[in-house]
Amino acid sequence: MLFPVRCFTCGAPIGHLWDEYIKRVQAGEDPAKVLDDLGVKRYCCRRMFLSHVDIAREVLYFPKIS
Amino acid sequence: MDVEVLKRDDVSLKLLVKGVKLHLLNSIRRALIAEVPVMAVDYVVFMENSSVFYDEYIAHRLALIPLSSEKALEKYKSPEECREAGERGIFSEDCFVKLELSGEGVKGGVKTLYSGDLVSGDPDVKPVYDKIPIIQLLENQRVKLEAYARLGRGREHIKWSPVSVAAHKYVASVKIDEGKCSYPQCRRCIEVCPRQVIVEKEGSIKVDEGKLLECSLCRLCETVCPSEAVKVSWKEDEYILYFESTGSLTPKRILIEATKVLEDKLNTLKKALLEGVGYGGG
Repeated sequence: MLFPVRCFTCGAPIGHLWDEYIKRVQAGEDPAKVLDDLGVKRYCCRRMFLSHVDIAREVLYFPKIS
Repeated sequence: MDVEVLKRDDVSLKLLVKGVKLHLLNSIRRALIAEVPVMAVDYVVFMENSSVFYDEYIAHRLALIPLSSEKALEKYKSPEECREAGERGIFSEDCFVKLELSGEGVKGGVKTLYSGDLVSGDPDVKPVYDKIPIIQLLENQRVKLEAYARLGRGREHIKWSPVSVAAHKYVASVKIDEGKCSYPQCRRCIEVCPRQVIVEKEGSIKVDEGKLLECSLCRLCETVCPSEAVKVSWKEDEYILYFESTGSLTPKRILIEATKVLEDKLNTLKKALLEGVGYGGG
C-alpha cells in the first residue's frame, strides 16, 4: 500500500520524507546516505524505507471490493 | 534537583537529570507519552470516495498526521469534554477543527493528495508536515471529505501522543582498579569498548568522563578483563531523559505540559484525601 505515515515501531513521522527518498534512490544514490541526510537515524525507521514496496501503484488499477 | 541540557534541537531534547529518584522521572516520562494533549483527527465524514482505498484506510492515515497544537491547547476545550461531545455527535467549534480535503484524478497519470492539501478551518491547527501522502487517485476517481480534529491524550490513542520516543537511562560509572590492572601488557577493555569510554592517556589507562554518558552499560569491558580490574555500575539518582517530538508541540512545551498534568493529578489526590478521608488538619 502507500508509504506509512509513521514508523510502526517508534511512531516518528516519516511519510513526508518518502518522495524525496525514492526520487534520490532512483537517481542512483546510496539509500544509507539519503537516509542519513533526511535525518532518519533509528533502524526501526530506516527499515520502513528500505523494505517498502509501493503496491499502491498496482492496486490503483483494480476495482474496490465493497 | 539539577538539570543539564545535553542536546537540544527542533524536535528532540536530551537532559541529564541529577538528584531525582527513578520513579519520579519515570512518571514524568509516562506523562510525556500518555497525558499531554495534542490535536489529531478523530472523525472523518466522506462525501465522496471513488478511489480504490477504503474509507477506514484513509481515515487512519489522516489521524496519524501530526497537527500543530501549540496554540490549540489554550483555545480548545479539554480532551475529556470533547470526547464526550464527539460521542454525542456534537461537533462544536470550541472542541473540533474541521479539515477539508478534496481532489480528483488527472488524465493519464497518478494524482497524489498530500497533507498540505488539507484545508484547515483554523490556521493554528494545520499539518506539521506538508508532504505526507494521503491517497492516490486515477482519472475519474474523486475524493471529498471532512475531517474533524480534537484534543486528546496518548492513553486514549497513540495518535494523540506528542512524542515518538521517550526514554530514560542510567549514567554509567566505570572504575578501573589500577592495582589489579596490568595495563601496558593487556589492552583488551580499550579494544572491546564499542563507545570508546576507556582510553589511553599519557601512558596510562583512563575512563573518559565526557564519554561516560554514552556508555550503554554493556559490560563488555568487565567480562573481557582477565584480572577483574574493571567494574561497571551506575551513578545514584542520575539519569538521562531523552524524548523526541512528533512536531505538534516543541519539546520544551511537552515537558512543561507533562509536569502540569502530574501536578494536577497530585493536587486532585491531595484534595480528595483532605475532603474525603478526613486527614485535613491532622
